[in-house]
Amino acid sequence: MPEIRMTVVDEAGLHARPAARFVQAASRFASRIVIRNGEHEADAKSLISLLGLAVRLSSVITVAAEGSDAEAALASLATELSPYVTPIPGNTIS
Amino acid sequence: MSLVLVSHSKALAEGLRDMVVQVAGESVHVAVAGGTADGRLGTNAEAIVDTLRASLADGPDGVLVLLDLGSAWLSVEMALEELSDTERARIVVSEAPLVEGAVLAAVQASVGGTLAEVAAAAAGAASMSKAPGGSSNA
Repeated sequence: MPEIRMTVVDEAGLHARPAARFVQAASRFASRIVIRNGEHEADAKSLISLLGLAVRLSSVITVAAEGSDAEAALASLATELSPYVTPIPGNTIS
Repeated sequence: MSLVLVSHSKALAEGLRDMVVQVAGESVHVAVAGGTADGRLGTNAEAIVDTLRASLADGPDGVLVLLDLGSAWLSVEMALEELSDTERARIVVSEAPLVEGAVLAAVQASVGGTLAEVAAAAAGAASMSKAPGGSSNA
């Protein structure tokens, strides 16, 4: 299951708007995509699930994808969500 | 897939629509029926009928109605009675809290959710925390 780690750089954390962007970006892919914050995990295609993660500024989150388009999904998420998160270089695990 | 927001206050409904569109994007159809015909606080079955019909005409996928409280439901019920069975079959009235329900529903609609999926997303609002991961002194 490929995954990338990202630091949240939005001052308000993963609040409604960036969380909605996550859901919209993730929903374009068939893969199952999850976001982990510490020991908690959320479905990246569900807004309520993401908002429940309580991701704050400077949180390091892991985005993991499983499925035929997993690599493409992670690449796309990292690019599209750049206003809110910064991928941590060298932390991509395939 | 359209959302209809029913509130006693036109300002509340329109403000919520602004918020929902900012979160979910311009592609989501959100219509409002707020206030009485003469601009007071209250709900208005006739305006709800008109809004529902216009929203049904917007696309083939149906309408999710979200409402604030109290007599809003009575007005929605009266409005539904004015509609045909075919029209009613394409409308779901959500029990979700208005703000959270509208935001969750709109995001689900923005990713191409069906009426049932959008209604299910809104229903999740009932168990949503106001302060996830936070503390409360209440």
